[in-house]
Amino acid sequence: MSESTSTNTPKPSSSVKLVLLGEAAVGKSSLVLRFVNNDFQENKEPTIGAAFLTQKCSLPTRTIKFEIWDTAGQERFASLAPMYYRNAQAALVVYDVTKPSSLTKAKHWVAELQRQASPGIVIALVGNKLDLTNDGNDAAGETPAEAEGESAAAEGDETAGETQEGQDVTSADARKVPTREASAYAEEEGLLFFETSAKTGTNVVEVFTAIANAIPESSLKSGRAGGAGTGQTSLGSGRPAEDSRVNLGERGPATAKEGCAC
Amino acid sequence: MMQWTSFVQKAQSFIDPANFSLPTLSSSDRNPSKASLFRQQFRLPDSQNPLQEITAELILPIPHTPSSTSLGEPARNPVDRAGNRYAGRLHLSERFLCFSTQPTSFTPSTSLGASTHWAGQTNGTGPSGNGFTIPLCCIRRVERLNSLSHVFSLALTTWNGALGKQQNSDFAPQRFTIQLAGSRQACERFCDGLKKGLRECMKEIENLRLVVNNCYSEYLLSGTKAKAQNGEAPEARQPPDAGLGMMFRYPGDARKLRDRSKMRLWGEYFRENGRNATLIRQPTFHKLIRVGLPNRLRGEIWEVTSGSLYLHLRSPNLYTETLSKFSGQESLAIDEIEKDLNRSLPEYAGFQSEEGIGRLRRVLTAYSWTNAEIGYCQAMNIVVAALLIYMSEAQAFFLLSVLCDRLLPGYYSTTMYGTLLDQKVFESLVEKTMPVLWDHLTKSDVQLSVVSLPWFLSLYINSMPLVFAFRVLDVFFLEGPKVLFQVGLAILRINGEELLDIQDDGSFISVLKAYFSRLDESAHPRSENPKLRAITRFQELMVVAFKEFSQITHQTITEQREKHKDAVLQNIESFAKRTSIRNLGPDSKKLSMDDLGVIYDRYYEVLYDRQQRQKVEEEERRRQEKKRVERTSILGPPVDREIGRVGLGPSPTHMDYDAFRDFLAATAKWAVADSRGSSRKESTSEQGFNSFRGWGKSSALWNNKPEPADHEFTRRLFRKWATDPNEGLSLQNVVNGLARLKGPRDIMNNINYFFDLYDDEGTGQVDREGILRMSEALLFLSRRGFEGAITPTQSVEDVRANEQDQDKLSTDERFLGSVSSFIRRCFEYADPSHPDRAAEGQKDEDAAETADKLGSFSIGDDEEDLIDIDDDAKSIESAGTINPAKQVTEDKPNTHHNRSVSESANPALDPNNPLHITLPTFRMVILADELLEQFFDSFFPQSFRLSDHGLEALASSSLSSNLTTFSNIGAAKPQPSPASGASVAGASGGIVPPGKGLRGVLDNIVSDGIRMAAEVKKRMDEAQRELERSALNRDDEEEEEDEEYDPRSGVATTSAMVGGISSWGAGAYGADPERRSVRDADRDLLEGAEVISMRGKDDASLLDDKDDHKQDRGTHDPSHDDPNLVSKVEFES
Repeated sequence: MSESTSTNTPKPSSSVKLVLLGEAAVGKSSLVLRFVNNDFQENKEPTIGAAFLTQKCSLPTRTIKFEIWDTAGQERFASLAPMYYRNAQAALVVYDVTKPSSLTKAKHWVAELQRQASPGIVIALVGNKLDLTNDGNDAAGETPAEAEGESAAAEGDETAGETQEGQDVTSADARKVPTREASAYAEEEGLLFFETSAKTGTNVVEVFTAIANAIPESSLKSGRAGGAGTGQTSLGSGRPAEDSRVNLGERGPATAKEGCAC
Repeated sequence: MMQWTSFVQKAQSFIDPANFSLPTLSSSDRNPSKASLFRQQFRLPDSQNPLQEITAELILPIPHTPSSTSLGEPARNPVDRAGNRYAGRLHLSERFLCFSTQPTSFTPSTSLGASTHWAGQTNGTGPSGNGFTIPLCCIRRVERLNSLSHVFSLALTTWNGALGKQQNSDFAPQRFTIQLAGSRQACERFCDGLKKGLRECMKEIENLRLVVNNCYSEYLLSGTKAKAQNGEAPEARQPPDAGLGMMFRYPGDARKLRDRSKMRLWGEYFRENGRNATLIRQPTFHKLIRVGLPNRLRGEIWEVTSGSLYLHLRSPNLYTETLSKFSGQESLAIDEIEKDLNRSLPEYAGFQSEEGIGRLRRVLTAYSWTNAEIGYCQAMNIVVAALLIYMSEAQAFFLLSVLCDRLLPGYYSTTMYGTLLDQKVFESLVEKTMPVLWDHLTKSDVQLSVVSLPWFLSLYINSMPLVFAFRVLDVFFLEGPKVLFQVGLAILRINGEELLDIQDDGSFISVLKAYFSRLDESAHPRSENPKLRAITRFQELMVVAFKEFSQITHQTITEQREKHKDAVLQNIESFAKRTSIRNLGPDSKKLSMDDLGVIYDRYYEVLYDRQQRQKVEEEERRRQEKKRVERTSILGPPVDREIGRVGLGPSPTHMDYDAFRDFLAATAKWAVADSRGSSRKESTSEQGFNSFRGWGKSSALWNNKPEPADHEFTRRLFRKWATDPNEGLSLQNVVNGLARLKGPRDIMNNINYFFDLYDDEGTGQVDREGILRMSEALLFLSRRGFEGAITPTQSVEDVRANEQDQDKLSTDERFLGSVSSFIRRCFEYADPSHPDRAAEGQKDEDAAETADKLGSFSIGDDEEDLIDIDDDAKSIESAGTINPAKQVTEDKPNTHHNRSVSESANPALDPNNPLHITLPTFRMVILADELLEQFFDSFFPQSFRLSDHGLEALASSSLSSNLTTFSNIGAAKPQPSPASGASVAGASGGIVPPGKGLRGVLDNIVSDGIRMAAEVKKRMDEAQRELERSALNRDDEEEEEDEEYDPRSGVATTSAMVGGISSWGAGAYGADPERRSVRDADRDLLEGAEVISMRGKDDASLLDDKDDHKQDRGTHDPSHDDPNLVSKVEFES
């Protein structure tokens, strides 16, 4: 994500508090690591409490500085979560596409956030470990063009940016959560929806970009950080020049009910 | 002067209650926290209790330096050359002798309530004072010294250093003197206790040898000697395992850490003051720890200061045994551990190797087995990994246990309440000590705990560079949790200025990150003074932590924890509740959020209540057996740990039948037993609960709690709701069960549900027995009235001649009639189970029956009947009951055909003609009766009270809906209700105008029932004449004597049981299954005509209470009261 950090033109910048939630070992920290350092580690230290990282995301009209709270996923850490999602403007609820129970857990988090977090929080549902599925493997180079995904099973198909490591590329599809199921749920709840691979980098930047776009201007103004955006709305009004996967950027805001409010 | 003091002491000994307590004592463990403070103070295992204590003076010998003396000689009489003296308190527990200079007193003061008094200033601080904690098995000899001044002196010789394989000729045993200060008796008593303890602990010396020989200190000291002596290295001298560091190097630069000179200092200290189990704490000890422990001794000193050594001593092989016991087994914890193994201190070389990872896996796994409640929590992997650098696996295993149970209480529990609580405590301390910074953080909306939480949770291990984190740990194990707070506060204080500039979480974190990375730099780099320049930032941190924040004591932390605990737990609980309710699945959506909340609260309240009760009972039992608290396993949750709240850790997940009854009793009125005594044995033990203190809240709860009834119906409900009845009911089961009943209102659903409850074989058929049980249940459910949920239609009753009497009938009474006709109809419409035989039999029976009834009708139609409508209505009920009762009796295979009058009354009940009803029949029968219909439409579901209490509104709606539902089954217009029919004893109910359809038919049946009731009434009267004395007077209105039945004759007992219906409103069949089984067993003995007559009588007196009560009472009271009591005792014993 080096490209989005390099902002040469002085654009209004605002910080957005984002929290990652989801079952243990679904790859929350890896997603963040991919987004922040464009890196992947097989053995990432488990997050104790929560890890804090920041990363800028450049939009045409403004720069969003994500303050990312990456929470621990072990079940018992759940009771600490309210501490972290307090005041969060965005949330990434992550599940593992190879593990149906993780989607159930994700749904619980969504419900929790909708009920307890700040009103208007932008929530993205993210199915990670796409690299373990056939979609993640053979769809290299494809750019998904579907506008609304629930009908298209191949929705999550995305550039498998890097070459696969041998042991993970197996002919067997490890996918256990159909894209359709998750996206339908996301649609119903008004969430952004993506399938990603932190390992290959598939869709990772897109998730954050979509969130950045979906954050209502109003909440940025009231947000804690510096210059409020001058643009009227960022939704669909433009996309990062360097971002080729335009559709994703657009689709996100479209499904974010809160995002369009202003 | 001497005399005077001894007088005072004597006087004190009389006042001091501890001196009166027996060596085994009970006074001390009566207050659990007192014993636990004692254990905390001396870091003793949970099995230890303060048995004796006495003021004493510890007199240590003058240290002999190797240079000044040959090692052999000073042992001769070191006591005479007294060195350091320390005044303090000497304590004796079952297996330990402890001494501390800190004011410690665990004897209860005169006012037992003032807990702070006996807690002393220490509050269980830990062994930071001077003194010792010596296992009794380490004491080799105790001599009473003859001293000049009547002082009671003991000279103790320990096994220190004497357990090794080789004995050196110049070996000097550790020996020191203790002077007891107290009355002669007090001293003697103490000595007696000590003697006893010593004798008992002798056998443990082998354990001691095993553990001690694996201590690095033994190796260190014997090694030096060996070298000095013979210069030849004995082949057996393998250094004991002092952690992965021996293989993979210890973190940090040993030279920079001055490891070698620290080692020398410790060697010297050990020689003078004993080592490992026999170590005596003098001021140097604390200083040596503050400067940081040498690598190879670190693990051992941690073991000693944390007290994990004593667990280790107790069962040296527990670690390996646990591993082998559970080898190959799987658990959730193991899965979780496996995920984290490769990511625990991965920067340390040892954890990139199979060796290190293997050790980590084994320790975490073994612990997860010994303490399944905690299992595995992320962060434990980091802590254990750190421990393993300095300790053997077994050492780390025991230390982890001490950490989880005592040093970091609740940190790693499934709710992590300890972690959250200490964050709150930390925040409040910051607010108190650094108000400016606190204000700034609040204003900038920076949440401190998100930053400080990992500090506490992983003991600074992944916040600071390892070398420094270990220095913090050194002090932490000695001084306890307050160290974490002191260090945390110091970190903020030192960075205070920079932190005042930060605006958000990000900058806050980066300031601290930068600080941690420069801990090894000079704190005053620009200082002129080279000494100041040499002080590192870490040293500065330690100084600030322990000097500036010296006011933060263990007591501060204890108080603060106490203060914030409730709020923290409530937060956790509301979170847990939200989550839990959300996860209850699709069925739960039928219930409102409020309802679910109520179910959730009630469910856990009941479970915890039970848990508490069991705990108290257990304790009481143990107390009676005069057994000391001894746990089966030495590890696991502390004995005095708190339970009873969702927030505190894993909650019980299943509710057994007894708990379910409690739950129902809190939910539905009918589930409350009619009197306290009627419910199992609990009532007896309950007396015990109230008698002792400390249970204020919960015991009050129990006292106000309704006694749950025990009825066949509740058992059926339990079985129906449970996925696996043996396991009990999960919250999910309960919610699903209630959702089915309380979901969208649907009378058909409710009827089906009820039928299913009794469809034992799942064949869609309910047999004779089942029908009777159903009716029994209907009466059971309705015996507390309907709360307006059921209202008979008044308008249709004008057809009746005796309208005025009609109005007098209460709904309850009419319901009786309904149930009665329910039975009648059920049998009427039942399908024969053996069609061939039934087919021919049916006609005859019907004919005979009708004839019989008609015959009896006239008899029933007597004066009394007309006058006493109540009576009649009730006798209908008995009519329905008696026969079944008899049938049940006769169902027994080897019963003789002792047919009574009743049989001819209703041949349909003949057991030779098995029959059953199906769901459609059942539905039809229910819907045929207005009251029953309402019962299922509104009362039954409504009787489970959740968040809805307003029943008035529902009452009216139930009426209208019942009419519509009735039409659903294709009947013609609703006709005069059968309920009203119940009262028309003398009416010509048998004649049905043609064209009335189903309802007409049903009405016909009703009138049949009425005639039958009349007949029963007649028989009852006969019985009354015969057996006047057996009449039983009950007052079901006031529920005074409700659980009493006539005990003089087994007959009455039987009848009360068999026809549970008879005791409607009385609950005699209520709650005692034992009693019930007794009756069951006696059943066939007691059958016969008498049963009927007796019970007829029984019912009469029972139900006629309004009119006959006074009279009955007057007549019979004296005769039956006493026997009743007797029987109660019998059945309950």
